[in-house]
Amino acid sequence: MSANRWLTTGNYFTSYQQEQRIFSTLLDRALFIVFILGLFLWPLLIKLSSRNMLVVDTILIAIVAVLGLNLLTGFAGLISIGHAAFVGVGAYTVASIIRFIGDDHMLITHAWPLVILFAGFVGAAFGAFVGLPSLRLRHLYLLMATLSFQIIFQWVINFSTFFNQGQTISVGRVFWFTGKIVRKQHYVFWYYAILVVIVLLGLGVRNILRTRYGRSLVAVRDNDRAADAMGMHPGLTKVYAFALAGFLAGIAGALHAYLYRGVGFESFTLHHSIVYLAMAIVGGMGTLNGSFWGPAAIQFLELRVENLAEKAGHYFPSNMNLSTALRPLTFGLVIVLFLMFEPRGIANWWRIVRSYVKLWPFRY
Amino acid sequence: MSYFFQLVVSGIVVGSIYALSGLGFVLIYKSSRVLNVAHGQIIASGCFITYALTVWAGIPIYISFVMSMVITFFLAMSVERIFLRRLIGEPIISVIMVTIGLMSIIDGIVYLTPFGSENYSFPEFFPQTPIEVGGVSVSWTQLVGVIITMVLIAGFSWFFKKSTVGISMRAVSDDQLAAMSIGVSVPRVFGLAWATAGLTAAAAGGIIGNITGLNFDILHSFGIIVFPVVILGGLDSILGAVVAGVLMGLIQQFASGYLDGNWGLNGTAEVLPYILLLIILLFKPHGLFGIHEIERV
Repeated sequence: MSANRWLTTGNYFTSYQQEQRIFSTLLDRALFIVFILGLFLWPLLIKLSSRNMLVVDTILIAIVAVLGLNLLTGFAGLISIGHAAFVGVGAYTVASIIRFIGDDHMLITHAWPLVILFAGFVGAAFGAFVGLPSLRLRHLYLLMATLSFQIIFQWVINFSTFFNQGQTISVGRVFWFTGKIVRKQHYVFWYYAILVVIVLLGLGVRNILRTRYGRSLVAVRDNDRAADAMGMHPGLTKVYAFALAGFLAGIAGALHAYLYRGVGFESFTLHHSIVYLAMAIVGGMGTLNGSFWGPAAIQFLELRVENLAEKAGHYFPSNMNLSTALRPLTFGLVIVLFLMFEPRGIANWWRIVRSYVKLWPFRY
Repeated sequence: MSYFFQLVVSGIVVGSIYALSGLGFVLIYKSSRVLNVAHGQIIASGCFITYALTVWAGIPIYISFVMSMVITFFLAMSVERIFLRRLIGEPIISVIMVTIGLMSIIDGIVYLTPFGSENYSFPEFFPQTPIEVGGVSVSWTQLVGVIITMVLIAGFSWFFKKSTVGISMRAVSDDQLAAMSIGVSVPRVFGLAWATAGLTAAAAGGIIGNITGLNFDILHSFGIIVFPVVILGGLDSILGAVVAGVLMGLIQQFASGYLDGNWGLNGTAEVLPYILLLIILLFKPHGLFGIHEIERV
C-alpha cells in the first residue's frame, strides 16, 4: 500500500487488519495531525469576538452530544428523542454538586476535569437505566422510553426546589495552571478544553467501533436475530449503547454548564432533543464524521434563520415572533428533506466528491 | 365522597378525549407500523380549523365541526401522500423520524398563524349552568364532548368490524403480503389510515378546544400523552386505546386530586403517566390488550 490511496481506484486491502486501520497511509495520518494542529492554532491567529467564539464553542459541545446520539441512533439503530435530557443530566450533575458545596469550591473550580468525567458517568448510569427496556424490546418502544425520560426529567427539574425549579444555577469560574480564567479568556479557554475532549472522544468512539463491541453494535442494528445466532447478546449490546450515549451526553452537559457558567432548564427541553436528532440526521446517521458536519450545519442554519427573521420581522405584525415560527419550520423541513432525498446526510456528499475525484474522468 | 365522584367524572371526561386521540394514533400504527409523533400537532390544527370556521367564518358549530373533520381528513391524507408514501420500504426508524420532522414543521406553521402566540376560546354553545347530580357537577360542554367521543368510537368500531374498507385495513395490519395478494392496495390503505386518524384528531381537537380553550401548548401536549395511553392499552388495540384512555384520565385526576400538595409534590398529573409508561415498558410491554409479540431480543 505504498501507492497514493487518493489516486488509486479499487480496494487493495489484503488483510482485515489493514482495512480496520484508522489511517491507512502515513499521508492520512500526517494530514490528520496537520488538521488538528490547525484547529489548535487558528484562535491564536484570528481573534474572534466572544460572541462568535461562543457560537464555535456551542457547535463543539453539540458535536460531543451528537457523537453520542449518532452512536445510539446511527450505529445501534435506537431512536432517542430524549437526548437533551441526558445532556441535562450531565449539566445538572454539576449543578447538584454546586448545590451541595457552593459554586466556588475547589472541586468545581480546580478539579473541573474530574467533575466533567463524573458527569459523564452519571449520564452513563441514567442512559443504561433508560435503556433497560431494550433488554426485551425493539426500537419502537425505546423511542417511548426516551420520550418519557425527557418528560420526567423536565418535571423533576421544574418542580424540585433543589434544582431551583429550573431557574439558572450559576457555576463559578475555573482555574488553570496560569490562574483564574477571566472573562476575556473564557471562551477561548473552553474552546481548547472542548477541542481536547472532542479529539479524545472522537478517537475513542472510532476505536470502539473497530472493536468486537462496535461491530456487534452494527450487527444488532442490521439484524438482531442473526446477531443473536452469532453469539452476541442484542439486549446487553443495546443497553451498553445507551450507556455510552449517556456518557457522551453527560460530558457535553457538564461542558455546557461550565461554558455558559450556569445551568438552566430551558437548554434541555424536548425541542433540543429534536435539534440533536436533526443534527445527527443532517450530518449522516451511522457515520462518524457526520457527527461533526451535522452540528456545524444546523448551527449555521440557525444563525441564518435568526438573521432572516430579524430582517423580515419588520414586514410582519409585531405580535408575531417570526423566529419562534421559522426555527421549528426549518428544522422540520431539514429533517424531512434530508430523510427523503439524502438519508445518508452530508457525510455522503464527501463520499460522492471523493469517489468522483478518484474516478475522474470516468463516471464509474 | 362527592369529591371522589367529582374526580371520577372529570377523569372520564379527560379520559374519553385521550381515548379519541389514542384511537387516531393506533389507527396509523396498526396499519403501517408507524409511530406518529406529530399526532398532537394534527389534533391542534383540527381544533384551530374548527375555531377559524366557527368564529371567523361564522359557520354554525355543528357544521364547522364536521367540516374541520373533512378538511383534516384530506390534510392528513396529503401528508401521507407527500411525505410518507415515498418512504414505504425504508427502515421504520427513518419513517418515525420523518414524523418527528413533521411535528416541527406543523409547529412552525402554527406559530406563523395567530394561534401560535395568542389564546382564544370558543364561545359558549351550551347552557352555562352545569348539571348537578348528588354534589357532582359536569358542564354541558364536557357532557356533549363525552357523548360525541363515545359515538365516534362506536362508529369506528363498526367501521373496522363490518365495512369493506375497514376489513381491508385490518387485513393490511395483519399481513401486508397476504392482503396485497387478494387485491388490497396497501398504499391506499396507508393513506386511508392517516386520513381517518386525521379525522379523529380533528374531532378530538374540536372537543378539547371547547373544554380547555385554544392554547397551542396544551393542545399539542395531547399528542405526547397519547404515548403512555397507547402503551398501556397495547399499541395495536383499538379497544385498548379506549380503555387505557379512560384509565389514564382517571389516574391523572386522582393524582392531581390526592397527591398534589401532599408530601411536597406538585404537578404529578403531568409526570405520572410517563413513570407508568416506563414501568409498563419494563414489565408488560404489550400493554393490556396488545398482541403478545413473541420477540425477546
